[in-house]
Amino acid sequence: MRLAARMEWIKLRSVRSTWWLAIGAVVAMAAAGAGVGLGYRSHTPVATAAQIFNNSLGGAVLAQLLLSALGVLMVTGEYGSGTIRSTLAAVPRRRTVLAAKTLVCGGFALTVGLVASFAGYLSGQLAIRGTAIPAAGLGDPGILQAVVLTGVYLGATALIGVGLGAVVRHSGAAIGTLFGLMFVPMIAAGLFGESGITIGRFLPLLMLLNSIAVTKPVPGLFTGWVSVLLMAGYATVILLSGGVVLRRRDA
Amino acid sequence: MIELRELTKRYGGRVAVDALSVQVRPGVVTGFLGPNGSGKSTTMRMILGLDAPDHGEALIDGVRYAQLTRPLRTVGALLDAGAFHPGRSGRAHLAALAASNDIPAARVGEVLRVVGLSGAGDRRAGTYSLGMRQRLGVAVALLGDPGVLLLDEPVNGLDPEGIRWIRDLLRGLAAEGRTVFVSSHLIAEMALTAERLVVIGQGRLLAETTVAGLAAGHDSLEDAFFRLTSQATDYRGTGVS
Repeated sequence: MRLAARMEWIKLRSVRSTWWLAIGAVVAMAAAGAGVGLGYRSHTPVATAAQIFNNSLGGAVLAQLLLSALGVLMVTGEYGSGTIRSTLAAVPRRRTVLAAKTLVCGGFALTVGLVASFAGYLSGQLAIRGTAIPAAGLGDPGILQAVVLTGVYLGATALIGVGLGAVVRHSGAAIGTLFGLMFVPMIAAGLFGESGITIGRFLPLLMLLNSIAVTKPVPGLFTGWVSVLLMAGYATVILLSGGVVLRRRDA
Repeated sequence: MIELRELTKRYGGRVAVDALSVQVRPGVVTGFLGPNGSGKSTTMRMILGLDAPDHGEALIDGVRYAQLTRPLRTVGALLDAGAFHPGRSGRAHLAALAASNDIPAARVGEVLRVVGLSGAGDRRAGTYSLGMRQRLGVAVALLGDPGVLLLDEPVNGLDPEGIRWIRDLLRGLAAEGRTVFVSSHLIAEMALTAERLVVIGQGRLLAETTVAGLAAGHDSLEDAFFRLTSQATDYRGTGVS
């Protein structure tokens, strides 16, 4: 397992797409944070600390797509190029391969996710410095928790990507499925108005915007911790499915 | 030593490999011949545990591939040329595989030298020519200094100098006492490289013989091969006129 993880880490860091997606996730959150901060400078009435904080993490919507694509490519990139056969010949225990990918991708995406989340928060705060808008300090209630949980959420989306990649195997199809799963249920839940929230609180994107990346969850939604645990649960289920498929099918 | 026992693989209703029983011995190059679609690659993938047989088994030194703890140190394989991530350097590809089997990192530079890619190791594999990818594939096979080598169509895309290089390399590896199993549909090339031949058609064993034994009684080895496989060729063109 340790050796398989070393192999996966060398593979992950030796392709450029990894670094472009990671940088893209950090830049997306930093830019969204700064943009929101600058926008609120000329906003009347003066925004609250919670308003600006919640919106400054909005870049996570884009960051989650980039990091989940990173997870997908870690598996489907190997099927597309045929490298998967070298990998499985080197480590014939296929569940070990998937476990190693999960460990390496999870650790990397969690780190990037936390950096991106802090970047969003900090650039949002920097953009309102010296104005009448109240700042949100890391010590204030809910702030640090929201920033950290957003980072963890981003790490979980990458693992959902890994699992889905193992099930679907094709880059385009897997990324398409993933994006569809992110947005379509949310639009569907929105059609039911207020009552849609009973289902909506289980949907990743709604959880992110209303329960995780906010100082206080919107009424009717789970707390941030519960939402993140749900995300981890989704990742676990899809990774286990990926493990079954990987074991059963010919490479 | 590679031993196939009634190895069988079906895809839907089609039998790709049909109760194939063969022993591939160490010390000589064994050619694996057959027309396109005869089941050579499927057999190789089953030996490596990539495809699961529907019946029978493939053993390497008496055990299944999946039971090997550091498989690259026992079996080196070249499957399809160009099975590299186009954005990753040849050196990084080898380094990742070396790490997975606890092979010292210094070995990566050694095999790059052996295959003549020292100067191109740091370039992205997507920029390699077909011949260079083939050489990188050979480097992967040699990485763990294995006693058993499986190579699927290793001369594809190589220039005449490259073909001679691989011929000498394989014969040298066999002379060191290794088991070398090389598939090809090029009978003339196999005649120069291999000593023993395993010939299959439509997944069935047609002959297990020596190069001299196959040619005996025919004008040429090619004639002998066509005679042998004439009933077992899936795809055949006709004249244009």
